[in-house]
Amino acid sequence: MITTPDLIEQLAATTTPVRRLRPPLLRAGLWLLFAAFILALLAAGHGVRPDLGQRLHQPAFVAGMAASLLTGVLAAVAAFTISLPDRSHRWLLLPAPALVVWISTIGYGCLTDWVSIGPNGVQLGETVRCFATLVLTSLPLSFAMLVMLRYAGLLRPRAVAMTGCLAVAAITATALSLFHDLDATLMILIWNLGTAALIVGLGGALGRRLFSWVAPRAGSIQDR
Amino acid sequence: MARDEAASEKPSMDERLDWSTLMARAQDGDRDAYRRLLGDVTPYLRSLVARHHRNPCDVEDVVQDILLTVHAIRRTYDPKRPFGPWLAAIAKRRIIDRLRKQGRSRLRESALEEGHETFAAPDANLHAAAAWDERALRAAVASLPAGQRQAVTLLKLREMSLKEASAASGMSVASLKVATHRALKSLRRILGQRRNDR
Repeated sequence: MITTPDLIEQLAATTTPVRRLRPPLLRAGLWLLFAAFILALLAAGHGVRPDLGQRLHQPAFVAGMAASLLTGVLAAVAAFTISLPDRSHRWLLLPAPALVVWISTIGYGCLTDWVSIGPNGVQLGETVRCFATLVLTSLPLSFAMLVMLRYAGLLRPRAVAMTGCLAVAAITATALSLFHDLDATLMILIWNLGTAALIVGLGGALGRRLFSWVAPRAGSIQDR
Repeated sequence: MARDEAASEKPSMDERLDWSTLMARAQDGDRDAYRRLLGDVTPYLRSLVARHHRNPCDVEDVVQDILLTVHAIRRTYDPKRPFGPWLAAIAKRRIIDRLRKQGRSRLRESALEEGHETFAAPDANLHAAAAWDERALRAAVASLPAGQRQAVTLLKLREMSLKEASAASGMSVASLKVATHRALKSLRRILGQRRNDR
């Protein structure tokens, strides 16, 4: 085993200048900007749902969408904040009020319409198209989040993964309510929080190796 | 006294400011500042870790783990904020990690003790007892006065004759005999006392 003074000597001898991370609020803002960009792309490619103007007059719809959007924003802020070592765990509670409102507006919608059997035989239901939008939105957002929060892998992987995935889920839900006329919230939550649970589960099994392909290598000095 | 202890355990405000400056310089690539900072925080980390881990090897392992983590995520430090909480939060993480790892390994492993190497036949178990006795005897011999120690070493441990021992030590045969007699008597007393203590 290497002795501690030797380790310090090696670390000091091989250190290079690093760029400091920007404040968490700013980084959360950047990520949300990226999310807005993805949503704009989808809107351009797919078009908004035909009855959006009508729906925007319904208080329940507006409340649900506002709550999911707010949950997304707050969860992103919370995730970027607690990814830093010296911030309080209480930041985790930041998205909770918005989340409660959002969950209370959840419907079953999408979950029940995977295939429809009509006169033209078996057809893919609206759910499949919902699912495509869901994947198109949440994959790039999750990936961006993972790369931006890679440092958290060494500190609080579980809390950060859960909050980050919640942010992605909320933004995706907002996107789906803009593009599809089915209420897909439950599916999105299952998909995204399921992904989060999977990541956390894998994290438990693999330990810190989970983030190792994007995270800075803590052990690289010893490996050499 | 109590205040001194508290002061030595927690870095004072000055030190923290100092560490903060050093870390800011280290982030800019100043190797000397970085070396000094890591050297300075190591005793603090050691005392922090020692509150949760007894084994010195574990303590050193965790301290090194903390230093590696600090190195890996040094860009997350914001020089506008105090350095102490940043470092302590990382240290806490690694200490908990190690405690969890120990908890897990304790569930499926058990330490190998000498007692576990024993067999049913009583002859096979003499080894551990003999080693203990030898250590105790050596300690007892070492605690004797110089003359008695020399006599017992030459005559009993090296098994010299009285004449050889006299030539080797320069003591007369008679005084060697007296010293040996006294040495054996005090050894009997010391070893008997130890046995009663156990």
